[in-house]
Amino acid sequence: MIGAIAANTFRETVRDRVLYAILIFAALATLAGVVFGSLSADQDVRVLEDLGLFTITTFGGVIAIFLGTNLVFKEIDRRTIFLIVTKPINRWEFVTGKFFGLALCVFVTNFAMGLFFQLVIWFQTGNFNSALPMLGSLSLIYLELLLVIAIATFFSTFATPLMSMIFTCGLWLVGHLSFSFELLAALARKNDSIATEKLALFLQYVMPDLAKLTTVRGDMMDARYPSADLLGYVIAYILAYLVILLSLSTIIAERREFN
Amino acid sequence: MTEAVIEVQGLVKDHFSNFLRKRFRALDGLNLKVEKGESFGLLGPNGAGKTTTQKLLLGMLKPTEGSIRVLGKSPGDKEALAKIGFLPENPYFYAYLSASEFLDFFAQLFDMNKNDRKARTKELLELVSLSEAGNRPIRKFSKGMMQRLGIAQALINDPELVFLDEPNSGLDPIGRRDIRNIMLMLKEQGKTIFFNSHMLPDVRDICDQVGVLHRGKMVGQGRVEDICRSGTYKELEDYFMDLINSSEEKYRQSGNATPYHIEREGAQQK
Repeated sequence: MIGAIAANTFRETVRDRVLYAILIFAALATLAGVVFGSLSADQDVRVLEDLGLFTITTFGGVIAIFLGTNLVFKEIDRRTIFLIVTKPINRWEFVTGKFFGLALCVFVTNFAMGLFFQLVIWFQTGNFNSALPMLGSLSLIYLELLLVIAIATFFSTFATPLMSMIFTCGLWLVGHLSFSFELLAALARKNDSIATEKLALFLQYVMPDLAKLTTVRGDMMDARYPSADLLGYVIAYILAYLVILLSLSTIIAERREFN
Repeated sequence: MTEAVIEVQGLVKDHFSNFLRKRFRALDGLNLKVEKGESFGLLGPNGAGKTTTQKLLLGMLKPTEGSIRVLGKSPGDKEALAKIGFLPENPYFYAYLSASEFLDFFAQLFDMNKNDRKARTKELLELVSLSEAGNRPIRKFSKGMMQRLGIAQALINDPELVFLDEPNSGLDPIGRRDIRNIMLMLKEQGKTIFFNSHMLPDVRDICDQVGVLHRGKMVGQGRVEDICRSGTYKELEDYFMDLINSSEEKYRQSGNATPYHIEREGAQQK
Protein backbone atom coordinates (compact mmCIF):
# COMPACT_ATOMS: atom_id res chain seq x y z
CA MET A 1 0.00 0.00 0.00
CA ILE A 2 2.71 2.47 1.04
CA GLY A 3 4.65 1.50 -2.10
CA ALA A 4 1.63 2.18 -4.34
CA ILE A 5 0.96 5.58 -2.77
CA ALA A 6 4.68 6.44 -2.89
CA ALA A 7 4.99 5.40 -6.55
CA ASN A 8 1.93 7.45 -7.46
CA THR A 9 3.24 10.48 -5.57
CA PHE A 10 6.63 10.11 -7.26
CA ARG A 11 4.94 9.94 -10.65
CA GLU A 12 2.88 13.01 -9.79
CA THR A 13 5.92 15.05 -8.74
CA VAL A 14 8.20 14.09 -11.63
CA ARG A 15 5.42 14.92 -14.10
CA ASP A 16 5.08 18.40 -12.61
CA ARG A 17 6.69 20.92 -14.97
CA VAL A 18 7.50 23.27 -12.09
CA LEU A 19 10.09 20.73 -10.96
CA TYR A 20 12.02 21.10 -14.21
CA ALA A 21 11.85 24.89 -14.06
CA ILE A 22 13.39 24.74 -10.56
CA LEU A 23 16.10 22.35 -11.81
CA ILE A 24 17.00 24.70 -14.67
CA PHE A 25 17.41 27.56 -12.20
CA ALA A 26 19.54 25.29 -10.01
CA ALA A 27 21.82 24.48 -12.96
CA LEU A 28 22.16 28.19 -13.78
CA ALA A 29 22.98 28.99 -10.15
CA THR A 30 25.66 26.26 -10.14
CA LEU A 31 27.19 27.69 -13.30
CA ALA A 32 27.15 31.14 -11.68
CA GLY A 33 29.63 29.63 -9.18
CA VAL A 34 32.16 29.35 -12.01
CA VAL A 35 31.85 33.09 -12.70
CA PHE A 36 32.02 34.07 -9.01
CA GLY A 37 34.95 31.67 -8.49
CA SER A 38 36.92 33.27 -11.31
CA LEU A 39 36.48 36.66 -9.61
CA SER A 40 38.03 35.41 -6.36
CA ALA A 41 41.72 35.36 -5.50
CA ASP A 42 42.86 31.74 -5.99
CA GLN A 43 39.74 30.44 -4.30
CA ASP A 44 37.80 29.57 -7.43
CA VAL A 45 37.25 25.90 -6.56
CA ARG A 46 36.31 26.70 -2.96
CA VAL A 47 33.79 29.34 -4.09
CA LEU A 48 32.39 26.94 -6.67
CA GLU A 49 32.03 24.17 -4.06
CA ASP A 50 30.40 26.41 -1.47
CA LEU A 51 28.01 27.99 -3.92
CA GLY A 52 27.24 24.61 -5.48
CA LEU A 53 26.32 23.01 -2.16
CA PHE A 54 24.33 26.08 -1.18
CA THR A 55 22.47 25.80 -4.50
CA ILE A 56 21.68 22.11 -3.98
CA THR A 57 20.44 22.73 -0.43
CA THR A 58 18.37 25.75 -1.37
CA PHE A 59 16.82 24.40 -4.56
CA GLY A 60 16.33 20.97 -2.98
CA GLY A 61 14.55 22.82 -0.17
CA VAL A 62 12.44 24.78 -2.65
CA ILE A 63 11.37 21.50 -4.29
CA ALA A 64 10.69 19.86 -0.92
CA ILE A 65 8.68 22.84 0.34
CA PHE A 66 6.82 23.59 -2.88
CA LEU A 67 5.78 20.00 -3.50
CA GLY A 68 5.58 18.97 0.16
CA THR A 69 3.18 21.70 1.24
CA ASN A 70 0.81 20.62 -1.53
CA LEU A 71 1.26 16.93 -0.81
CA VAL A 72 -1.83 16.13 1.27
CA PHE A 73 -3.64 19.45 0.79
CA LYS A 74 -3.97 18.95 -2.97
CA GLU A 75 -5.54 15.52 -2.44
CA ILE A 76 -8.13 17.11 -0.14
CA ASP A 77 -8.66 20.22 -2.25
CA ARG A 78 -9.14 18.25 -5.47
CA ARG A 79 -11.15 15.61 -3.64
CA THR A 80 -9.00 12.72 -4.89
CA ILE A 81 -8.75 11.88 -1.18
CA PHE A 82 -12.38 10.64 -1.39
CA LEU A 83 -11.20 7.81 -3.61
CA ILE A 84 -8.27 6.96 -1.32
CA VAL A 85 -9.97 6.94 2.09
CA THR A 86 -12.75 4.71 0.78
CA LYS A 87 -10.21 2.02 -0.12
CA PRO A 88 -8.93 -0.51 2.43
CA ILE A 89 -5.93 1.56 3.40
CA ASN A 90 -4.91 3.01 6.76
CA ARG A 91 -4.38 6.74 6.95
CA TRP A 92 -0.86 6.25 8.31
CA GLU A 93 -0.08 4.27 5.16
CA PHE A 94 -1.38 7.16 3.08
CA VAL A 95 0.70 9.80 4.92
CA THR A 96 3.82 7.62 4.92
CA GLY A 97 3.38 6.77 1.23
CA LYS A 98 3.06 10.45 0.31
CA PHE A 99 6.20 11.22 2.31
CA PHE A 100 8.27 8.46 0.69
CA GLY A 101 7.07 9.40 -2.79
CA LEU A 102 8.31 12.96 -2.39
CA ALA A 103 11.46 11.74 -0.61
CA LEU A 104 12.24 9.63 -3.70
CA CYS A 105 11.62 12.60 -6.00
CA VAL A 106 13.92 14.81 -3.90
CA PHE A 107 16.54 12.03 -3.89
CA VAL A 108 16.49 11.84 -7.69
CA THR A 109 16.65 15.63 -8.11
CA ASN A 110 19.39 15.87 -5.48
CA PHE A 111 21.34 13.18 -7.28
CA ALA A 112 20.90 14.97 -10.62
CA MET A 113 21.98 18.32 -9.15
CA GLY A 114 24.95 16.66 -7.39
CA LEU A 115 26.03 14.95 -10.60
CA PHE A 116 25.81 18.17 -12.57
CA PHE A 117 27.75 19.98 -9.84
CA GLN A 118 30.48 17.30 -9.86
CA LEU A 119 30.75 17.57 -13.66
CA VAL A 120 31.16 21.35 -13.40
CA ILE A 121 33.95 20.84 -10.83
CA TRP A 122 35.61 18.25 -13.05
CA PHE A 123 35.37 20.64 -15.98
CA GLN A 124 37.06 23.36 -13.89
CA THR A 125 39.73 21.28 -12.14
CA GLY A 126 40.12 18.21 -14.34
CA ASN A 127 39.88 15.81 -11.36
CA PHE A 128 37.38 14.14 -9.02
CA ASN A 129 39.32 14.80 -5.79
CA SER A 130 36.35 16.33 -4.05
CA ALA A 131 33.98 13.51 -4.98
CA LEU A 132 34.12 11.63 -1.65
CA PRO A 133 33.62 14.54 0.76
CA MET A 134 31.02 15.80 -1.67
CA LEU A 135 29.12 12.51 -1.44
CA GLY A 136 29.10 12.74 2.37
CA SER A 137 27.99 16.32 2.20
CA LEU A 138 25.23 15.58 -0.30
CA SER A 139 23.97 12.73 1.90
CA LEU A 140 23.66 15.12 4.84
CA ILE A 141 21.89 17.66 2.63
CA TYR A 142 19.43 14.93 1.69
CA LEU A 143 18.92 14.09 5.35
CA GLU A 144 18.13 17.73 6.03
CA LEU A 145 15.72 17.80 3.10
CA LEU A 146 13.94 14.71 4.45
CA LEU A 147 13.21 16.71 7.57
CA VAL A 148 11.96 19.62 5.46
CA ILE A 149 9.63 17.22 3.60
CA ALA A 150 8.33 15.85 6.92
CA ILE A 151 7.68 19.40 8.21
CA ALA A 152 5.89 20.31 4.95
CA THR A 153 3.85 17.07 5.06
CA PHE A 154 2.83 17.79 8.64
CA PHE A 155 1.56 21.28 7.84
CA SER A 156 -0.11 20.16 4.60
CA THR A 157 -2.45 17.88 6.59
CA PHE A 158 -4.26 20.88 8.06
CA ALA A 159 -3.08 24.17 6.53
CA THR A 160 -3.32 25.77 3.11
CA PRO A 161 -0.19 25.56 0.91
CA LEU A 162 0.65 29.24 1.51
CA MET A 163 0.45 28.91 5.29
CA SER A 164 2.33 25.60 5.14
CA MET A 165 5.06 27.25 3.06
CA ILE A 166 5.43 30.08 5.58
CA PHE A 167 5.51 27.67 8.56
CA THR A 168 7.90 25.23 6.88
CA CYS A 169 10.31 27.96 5.72
CA GLY A 170 10.15 29.46 9.21
CA LEU A 171 10.97 26.18 10.94
CA TRP A 172 13.75 25.40 8.44
CA LEU A 173 15.32 28.79 9.06
CA VAL A 174 14.90 28.53 12.83
CA GLY A 175 16.53 25.09 12.62
CA HIS A 176 19.67 26.67 11.21
CA LEU A 177 19.66 29.29 13.95
CA SER A 178 18.94 26.83 16.77
CA PHE A 179 22.20 27.77 18.52
CA SER A 180 20.68 31.21 19.19
CA PHE A 181 18.24 29.69 21.71
CA GLU A 182 21.22 28.55 23.77
CA LEU A 183 22.67 32.06 23.60
CA LEU A 184 19.30 33.53 24.56
CA ALA A 185 19.02 31.14 27.51
CA ALA A 186 22.53 32.12 28.68
CA LEU A 187 21.67 35.79 28.36
CA ALA A 188 18.42 35.30 30.28
CA ARG A 189 20.30 33.41 33.01
CA LYS A 190 22.72 36.29 33.32
CA ASN A 191 19.81 38.72 33.74
CA ASP A 192 17.93 36.43 36.15
CA SER A 193 14.99 36.16 33.78
CA ILE A 194 13.82 32.64 34.59
CA ALA A 195 10.75 32.72 32.33
CA THR A 196 12.78 33.79 29.28
CA GLU A 197 15.43 31.20 30.06
CA LYS A 198 12.82 28.44 30.30
CA LEU A 199 11.15 29.59 27.10
CA ALA A 200 14.49 29.64 25.28
CA LEU A 201 15.36 26.16 26.54
CA PHE A 202 11.88 24.89 25.61
CA LEU A 203 12.27 26.26 22.08
CA GLN A 204 15.76 24.79 21.86
CA TYR A 205 14.35 21.33 22.54
CA VAL A 206 11.19 21.66 20.46
CA MET A 207 12.52 23.40 17.35
CA PRO A 208 14.55 21.32 14.89
CA ASP A 209 18.29 21.60 15.38
CA LEU A 210 20.02 21.77 12.00
CA ALA A 211 23.03 23.75 13.18
CA LYS A 212 25.01 20.63 14.16
CA LEU A 213 24.28 19.02 10.82
CA THR A 214 25.53 22.12 8.98
CA THR A 215 28.73 22.13 11.06
CA VAL A 216 29.38 18.44 10.31
CA ARG A 217 28.73 19.07 6.63
CA GLY A 218 31.14 22.01 6.52
CA ASP A 219 33.82 19.93 8.26
CA MET A 220 33.36 17.15 5.72
CA MET A 221 34.05 19.52 2.85
CA ASP A 222 37.29 20.49 4.57
CA ALA A 223 38.18 16.78 4.75
CA ARG A 224 37.67 16.79 8.56
CA TYR A 225 35.49 13.79 9.08
CA PRO A 226 33.25 13.75 12.16
CA SER A 227 33.42 11.07 14.84
CA ALA A 228 31.02 8.15 14.48
CA ASP A 229 29.27 9.31 17.69
CA LEU A 230 28.61 12.81 16.36
CA LEU A 231 27.51 11.54 12.96
CA GLY A 232 25.30 8.91 14.61
CA TYR A 233 23.75 11.57 16.87
CA VAL A 234 23.00 13.90 13.94
CA ILE A 235 21.40 11.11 11.89
CA ALA A 236 19.41 9.70 14.83
CA TYR A 237 18.21 13.18 15.81
CA ILE A 238 16.88 13.96 12.32
CA LEU A 239 15.24 10.55 11.93
CA ALA A 240 13.58 10.78 15.37
CA TYR A 241 12.27 14.27 14.58
CA LEU A 242 10.99 12.99 11.25
CA VAL A 243 9.16 10.03 12.81
CA ILE A 244 7.52 12.34 15.38
CA LEU A 245 6.33 14.69 12.62
CA LEU A 246 4.94 11.83 10.51
CA SER A 247 3.19 10.39 13.57
CA LEU A 248 1.57 13.75 14.29
CA SER A 249 0.55 14.03 10.62
CA THR A 250 -1.08 10.59 10.87
CA ILE A 251 -2.97 11.53 14.04
CA ILE A 252 -4.35 14.63 12.28
CA ALA A 253 -5.26 12.62 9.17
CA GLU A 254 -6.98 9.94 11.32
CA ARG A 255 -9.15 12.49 13.08
CA ARG A 256 -9.98 14.45 9.99
CA GLU A 257 -13.40 14.34 8.35
CA PHE A 258 -13.71 14.82 4.61
CA ASN A 259 -16.58 17.13 3.73
CA MET B 1 -34.77 -13.62 6.03
CA THR B 2 -32.61 -11.50 3.74
CA GLU B 3 -29.28 -10.11 4.84
CA ALA B 4 -29.04 -6.36 5.56
CA VAL B 5 -26.03 -4.87 3.81
CA ILE B 6 -26.65 -1.36 5.12
CA GLU B 7 -28.38 -0.67 8.41
CA VAL B 8 -28.76 2.84 9.76
CA GLN B 9 -30.57 3.76 12.97
CA GLY B 10 -31.31 7.25 14.25
CA LEU B 11 -28.47 8.83 12.31
CA VAL B 12 -27.79 12.46 13.11
CA LYS B 13 -25.03 14.57 11.64
CA ASP B 14 -24.26 18.08 12.76
CA HIS B 15 -21.76 20.32 11.03
CA PHE B 16 -20.16 23.20 12.87
CA SER B 17 -19.11 26.51 11.39
CA ASN B 18 -15.41 27.12 11.88
CA PHE B 19 -15.33 30.17 14.13
CA LEU B 20 -18.53 30.53 16.12
CA ARG B 21 -19.12 26.77 16.31
CA LYS B 22 -22.66 27.39 15.08
CA ARG B 23 -24.42 24.08 14.57
CA PHE B 24 -26.02 23.01 11.30
CA ARG B 25 -28.00 19.78 11.34
CA ALA B 26 -27.40 18.06 8.01
CA LEU B 27 -29.10 14.77 8.89
CA ASP B 28 -31.81 14.31 11.45
CA GLY B 29 -32.76 10.85 12.72
CA LEU B 30 -32.22 8.87 9.56
CA ASN B 31 -33.28 5.21 9.52
CA LEU B 32 -32.38 3.03 6.58
CA LYS B 33 -32.08 -0.62 5.63
CA VAL B 34 -30.76 -1.93 2.33
CA GLU B 35 -30.74 -5.65 1.72
CA LYS B 36 -28.28 -7.75 -0.22
CA GLY B 37 -28.67 -7.49 -3.99
CA GLU B 38 -31.03 -4.54 -3.68
CA SER B 39 -30.69 -1.25 -5.56
CA PHE B 40 -31.49 1.69 -3.34
CA GLY B 41 -31.93 5.19 -4.73
CA LEU B 42 -31.60 8.11 -2.35
CA LEU B 43 -33.48 11.05 -3.79
CA GLY B 44 -33.79 14.62 -2.68
CA PRO B 45 -33.27 18.21 -3.73
CA ASN B 46 -29.85 19.82 -3.55
CA GLY B 47 -28.74 20.15 0.03
CA ALA B 48 -31.10 17.48 1.36
CA GLY B 49 -28.21 15.46 2.86
CA LYS B 50 -27.71 12.74 0.24
CA THR B 51 -23.95 13.16 -0.14
CA THR B 52 -23.58 13.51 3.64
CA THR B 53 -25.40 10.19 4.05
CA GLN B 54 -23.03 8.41 1.64
CA LYS B 55 -19.99 9.96 3.30
CA LEU B 56 -21.20 8.75 6.70
CA LEU B 57 -21.78 5.25 5.34
CA LEU B 58 -18.26 5.22 3.91
CA GLY B 59 -16.58 6.55 7.06
CA MET B 60 -15.50 9.88 5.55
CA LEU B 61 -17.62 11.68 8.15
CA LYS B 62 -18.29 10.67 11.73
CA PRO B 63 -21.89 10.55 12.97
CA THR B 64 -23.03 12.89 15.73
CA GLU B 65 -25.58 10.31 16.91
CA GLY B 66 -26.97 6.99 15.76
CA SER B 67 -25.55 3.74 14.52
CA ILE B 68 -24.35 2.59 11.11
CA ARG B 69 -23.50 -0.94 9.98
CA VAL B 70 -22.20 -1.51 6.47
CA LEU B 71 -21.62 -5.15 5.48
CA GLY B 72 -21.90 -5.94 9.17
CA LYS B 73 -19.03 -3.59 10.11
CA SER B 74 -18.57 -0.03 11.25
CA PRO B 75 -18.14 2.57 8.49
CA GLY B 76 -14.55 2.83 7.29
CA ASP B 77 -13.67 -0.69 8.42
CA LYS B 78 -10.89 -2.03 6.19
CA GLU B 79 -12.50 -5.44 5.77
CA ALA B 80 -15.77 -3.84 4.64
CA LEU B 81 -14.04 -1.29 2.39
CA ALA B 82 -12.33 -4.16 0.55
CA LYS B 83 -15.81 -5.18 -0.68
CA ILE B 84 -17.03 -1.68 -1.52
CA GLY B 85 -16.80 0.41 -4.67
CA PHE B 86 -17.40 4.16 -4.64
CA LEU B 87 -17.85 6.86 -7.25
CA PRO B 88 -18.02 10.39 -5.76
CA GLU B 89 -20.02 13.22 -7.28
CA ASN B 90 -18.13 15.18 -9.97
CA PRO B 91 -14.99 13.14 -9.39
CA TYR B 92 -11.56 14.61 -10.01
CA PHE B 93 -8.87 12.14 -10.90
CA TYR B 94 -5.10 12.29 -11.08
CA ALA B 95 -4.81 14.23 -14.34
CA TYR B 96 -1.16 13.26 -14.86
CA LEU B 97 -2.00 9.54 -15.09
CA SER B 98 -3.31 7.63 -18.06
CA ALA B 99 -6.55 5.68 -17.62
CA SER B 100 -4.62 2.38 -17.37
CA GLU B 101 -2.18 3.77 -14.80
CA PHE B 102 -5.10 5.18 -12.83
CA LEU B 103 -6.93 1.84 -12.63
CA ASP B 104 -3.69 -0.01 -11.92
CA PHE B 105 -3.00 2.34 -9.00
CA PHE B 106 -6.37 1.64 -7.40
CA ALA B 107 -6.00 -2.09 -8.02
CA GLN B 108 -2.75 -1.92 -6.02
CA LEU B 109 -4.67 -0.46 -3.09
CA PHE B 110 -6.67 -3.69 -3.05
CA ASP B 111 -3.44 -5.68 -2.93
CA MET B 112 -4.01 -7.30 -6.32
CA ASN B 113 -1.03 -8.92 -8.00
CA LYS B 114 0.40 -7.59 -11.25
CA ASN B 115 -1.27 -10.12 -13.57
CA ASP B 116 -4.68 -9.69 -11.95
CA ARG B 117 -4.30 -5.91 -12.10
CA LYS B 118 -3.47 -6.00 -15.77
CA ALA B 119 -6.36 -8.31 -16.61
CA ARG B 120 -8.87 -6.36 -14.49
CA THR B 121 -7.76 -3.02 -15.97
CA LYS B 122 -8.19 -4.35 -19.50
CA GLU B 123 -11.58 -5.86 -18.68
CA LEU B 124 -12.91 -2.68 -17.08
CA LEU B 125 -11.63 -0.38 -19.81
CA GLU B 126 -13.53 -2.57 -22.27
CA LEU B 127 -16.63 -2.50 -20.08
CA VAL B 128 -16.72 1.30 -20.00
CA SER B 129 -15.68 1.59 -23.68
CA LEU B 130 -12.37 3.28 -22.94
CA SER B 131 -10.00 0.62 -24.32
CA GLU B 132 -8.70 2.91 -27.04
CA ALA B 133 -8.15 5.75 -24.59
CA GLY B 134 -6.33 3.58 -22.06
CA ASN B 135 -2.97 5.23 -22.57
CA ARG B 136 -4.28 8.76 -22.95
CA PRO B 137 -3.70 11.19 -20.03
CA ILE B 138 -6.86 11.71 -17.99
CA ARG B 139 -6.56 15.49 -18.36
CA LYS B 140 -7.60 15.03 -22.00
CA PHE B 141 -10.79 13.15 -21.09
CA SER B 142 -14.27 14.56 -21.60
CA LYS B 143 -16.77 14.68 -18.72
CA GLY B 144 -18.48 11.51 -19.96
CA MET B 145 -15.18 9.64 -20.25
CA MET B 146 -14.21 10.75 -16.73
CA GLN B 147 -17.49 9.46 -15.36
CA ARG B 148 -17.05 6.12 -17.12
CA LEU B 149 -13.51 5.87 -15.80
CA GLY B 150 -14.88 6.66 -12.35
CA ILE B 151 -17.29 3.76 -12.65
CA ALA B 152 -14.42 1.49 -13.74
CA GLN B 153 -12.45 2.62 -10.69
CA ALA B 154 -15.41 1.84 -8.45
CA LEU B 155 -15.56 -1.70 -9.84
CA ILE B 156 -11.84 -2.49 -9.74
CA ASN B 157 -12.23 -4.83 -6.75
CA ASP B 158 -15.38 -6.50 -8.08
CA PRO B 159 -17.31 -5.06 -5.11
CA GLU B 160 -20.32 -6.52 -3.37
CA LEU B 161 -21.66 -3.07 -2.57
CA VAL B 162 -21.41 -0.06 -4.87
CA PHE B 163 -21.97 3.55 -3.81
CA LEU B 164 -22.58 6.01 -6.62
CA ASP B 165 -23.10 9.70 -5.95
CA GLU B 166 -24.92 11.37 -8.82
CA PRO B 167 -23.39 9.07 -11.45
CA ASN B 168 -25.35 10.76 -14.25
CA SER B 169 -24.61 14.31 -13.27
CA GLY B 170 -23.62 16.52 -16.21
CA LEU B 171 -23.74 13.75 -18.79
CA ASP B 172 -25.28 13.93 -22.24
CA PRO B 173 -28.04 11.41 -23.13
CA ILE B 174 -25.55 8.91 -24.57
CA GLY B 175 -23.36 9.12 -21.47
CA ARG B 176 -26.42 8.69 -19.27
CA ARG B 177 -27.51 5.65 -21.21
CA ASP B 178 -24.04 4.08 -20.91
CA ILE B 179 -23.95 4.60 -17.16
CA ARG B 180 -27.49 3.29 -16.76
CA ASN B 181 -26.59 0.17 -18.74
CA ILE B 182 -23.58 -0.47 -16.52
CA MET B 183 -25.75 -0.07 -13.43
CA LEU B 184 -28.33 -2.49 -14.83
CA MET B 185 -25.53 -4.95 -15.50
CA LEU B 186 -24.33 -4.61 -11.90
CA LYS B 187 -27.88 -5.21 -10.72
CA GLU B 188 -28.10 -8.35 -12.84
CA GLN B 189 -24.84 -9.53 -11.28
CA GLY B 190 -26.54 -9.32 -7.89
CA LYS B 191 -24.53 -6.41 -6.54
CA THR B 192 -26.04 -4.12 -3.95
CA ILE B 193 -26.25 -0.58 -5.29
CA PHE B 194 -26.74 2.56 -3.24
CA PHE B 195 -26.99 5.66 -5.31
CA ASN B 196 -27.92 9.29 -5.05
CA SER B 197 -29.57 10.81 -8.05
CA HIS B 198 -31.75 13.51 -9.49
CA MET B 199 -32.49 11.53 -12.64
CA LEU B 200 -35.84 10.01 -11.72
CA PRO B 201 -36.37 8.01 -14.95
CA ASP B 202 -33.03 6.26 -14.34
CA VAL B 203 -33.95 5.65 -10.73
CA ARG B 204 -37.18 4.05 -11.83
CA ASP B 205 -35.33 1.72 -14.23
CA ILE B 206 -32.64 0.71 -11.78
CA CYS B 207 -33.92 0.90 -8.22
CA ASP B 208 -35.89 -1.61 -6.21
CA GLN B 209 -36.36 0.81 -3.37
CA VAL B 210 -36.17 4.59 -3.00
CA GLY B 211 -35.92 6.97 -0.10
CA VAL B 212 -36.70 10.67 -0.33
CA LEU B 213 -34.61 12.97 1.80
CA HIS B 214 -35.63 16.54 2.54
CA ARG B 215 -33.91 18.92 4.93
CA GLY B 216 -31.96 16.04 6.42
CA LYS B 217 -35.05 13.93 7.14
CA MET B 218 -36.31 10.87 5.33
CA VAL B 219 -39.78 11.99 4.26
CA GLY B 220 -40.70 8.88 2.32
CA GLN B 221 -39.44 5.43 1.55
CA GLY B 222 -40.83 2.57 -0.46
CA ARG B 223 -40.47 -0.01 -3.20
CA VAL B 224 -40.53 1.52 -6.68
CA GLU B 225 -42.89 -1.17 -7.88
CA ASP B 226 -45.39 -0.43 -5.11
CA ILE B 227 -45.19 3.33 -5.60
CA CYS B 228 -45.83 3.14 -9.33
CA ARG B 229 -48.45 0.38 -9.07
CA SER B 230 -50.49 1.93 -6.29
CA GLY B 231 -52.39 4.16 -8.69
CA THR B 232 -51.78 7.23 -6.55
CA TYR B 233 -48.78 8.23 -8.59
CA LYS B 234 -48.35 7.83 -12.32
CA GLU B 235 -44.64 8.51 -12.23
CA LEU B 236 -41.92 8.42 -9.62
CA GLU B 237 -41.58 12.15 -10.17
CA ASP B 238 -45.13 12.70 -8.88
CA TYR B 239 -44.32 10.75 -5.72
CA PHE B 240 -41.11 12.74 -5.25
CA MET B 241 -42.75 16.13 -5.81
CA ASP B 242 -45.68 15.28 -3.58
CA LEU B 243 -43.41 14.31 -0.70
CA ILE B 244 -41.15 17.34 -1.07
CA ASN B 245 -44.07 19.76 -1.35
CA SER B 246 -45.90 18.36 1.67
CA SER B 247 -42.70 18.34 3.69
CA GLU B 248 -41.97 21.92 2.69
CA GLU B 249 -45.54 22.89 3.59
CA LYS B 250 -45.18 21.32 7.04
CA TYR B 251 -42.01 23.32 7.59
CA ARG B 252 -43.71 26.50 6.55
CA GLN B 253 -46.68 25.88 8.83
CA SER B 254 -44.46 25.08 11.78
CA GLY B 255 -42.70 28.40 11.20
CA ASN B 256 -39.45 26.50 11.13
CA ALA B 257 -38.59 27.03 7.53
CA THR B 258 -35.08 28.33 7.99
CA PRO B 259 -33.31 26.92 4.97
CA TYR B 260 -30.06 26.37 6.81
CA HIS B 261 -29.67 22.77 5.64
CA ILE B 262 -29.92 23.79 2.04
CA GLU B 263 -27.47 26.64 2.39
CA ARG B 264 -25.00 24.52 4.28
CA GLU B 265 -25.21 21.45 2.10
CA GLY B 266 -25.31 23.45 -1.10
CA ALA B 267 -22.06 25.08 -0.06
CA GLN B 268 -20.48 21.66 0.45
CA GLN B 269 -21.46 20.30 -2.89
CA LYS B 270 -19.93 23.06 -4.96
